[in-house]
Amino acid sequence: MYAVVALVIGVAIGLLTSPTVPDWLGPYLPIAVVAALDAVLGGLRAKLTNVFDAKVFVISFVANVLVAALIVFLGDQLGVGSQLSTAVVVVLGIRIFGNAAAIRRHIFKA
Amino acid sequence: MSERPPGPTADAESADTGPRFVPSPLLESLALDHLDPGYRRAADRRTEDPARSPATRRASFGWLLAGTLVIGLLLAVAFQNTRANSAGVDEARGGLIDDVTRAQQNAAVLESSVSELNDQLRSARAAAGGGALAGVTALEQMNALLAVTGPGLRIALDDPEAAAGNGAVLDRDIQLLVNGLWSAGAEAVAISGVRLRLTSAIRQAGGAILVDNRPVLWPMTIEAIGDPSTLQQRFVSTPGYGRFTSFEQLYGVDFEVAAVGDLALPAAAAVDARYIEQPQATTASDPTTAVTVTTTATPVPTIGTATTDAETTGTSVATR
Repeated sequence: MYAVVALVIGVAIGLLTSPTVPDWLGPYLPIAVVAALDAVLGGLRAKLTNVFDAKVFVISFVANVLVAALIVFLGDQLGVGSQLSTAVVVVLGIRIFGNAAAIRRHIFKA
Repeated sequence: MSERPPGPTADAESADTGPRFVPSPLLESLALDHLDPGYRRAADRRTEDPARSPATRRASFGWLLAGTLVIGLLLAVAFQNTRANSAGVDEARGGLIDDVTRAQQNAAVLESSVSELNDQLRSARAAAGGGALAGVTALEQMNALLAVTGPGLRIALDDPEAAAGNGAVLDRDIQLLVNGLWSAGAEAVAISGVRLRLTSAIRQAGGAILVDNRPVLWPMTIEAIGDPSTLQQRFVSTPGYGRFTSFEQLYGVDFEVAAVGDLALPAAAAVDARYIEQPQATTASDPTTAVTVTTTATPVPTIGTATTDAETTGTSVATR
């Protein structure tokens, strides 16, 4: 519950202050968004299965963002940046779908 | 991300949680392990050590709030960023479109002033009298610099597939068609209002046909002024005509040739002379050079019969 409130407050702060994103950060923003969605759905599923742990939640989120950004950064330097960001999106997307399906099964029992 | 717990506990855990900690094949784990294994392990640690101090509780609550706050912030920033970027792209596009329209209007104004000045020039020339100046009109006529009228053919051409990007008609087909018209005796040819001059090219850039570097849209109309009694007859036996009749049957290209009694073709765009210069003194003091040039360079038989005011009488004087 507090987590939802904090999420809403974060969104509100972001919308109201609308900070400008530096150009070099541009390519990593979509990756970070996908990693964030993955973390949120993973945390929700863990909560529903009663294994939630805040530290794991935060650390896995931060580490996922960093690793994804690192992969994309390396790819950019090697000329395969867009392919690697596709790979990151695919992997995280599969996890998002799997977690969403688990949450659905948990809530609707179907 | 999934750091291994230290030795003895790892053995104990892998004993009761089973295959989760055995390194599984990549695709299998991708398809099955959606939840971060860290959650399960943290829960196991908690069950082993149920007496947690309030400090750890508060700390984990703080972790949770900070994490969700950051995630919310991230989502909002990404949203704002995407919206700002798309607005910028739209703005740039609109600016470019404005630039293009302004340049086109500018070009239209300049073109109209060119034709106005040309009219003035021609009337001044007519006032100055014939002689060498008649040769100038003939030369202009040859290079399609005068608007002309006369009888001839109108060819309506439409490629229904061209809009979808896989048209059957290519630039070289239209080149062949126009060459057929010339060889059939056409004296002036215009494609969709773009008059062909001596240096005009018919080219293709992507799906668009460019005539004299101006894009021509489907359906196109090719108008040719020439002797009405022989133009169509001779045109029918050219390879261009044959190619387009087979296009009509094979690809459904619309190809209609009609004899028209009165065609009006515009003047071609004037040649941009940017680098050539004329030595002013010699041409002014020695008009005979100009006369010799005109007399040698006018093999078109219409010259002798055409009056100086070619625009009103029309160029197509039947001399075949």
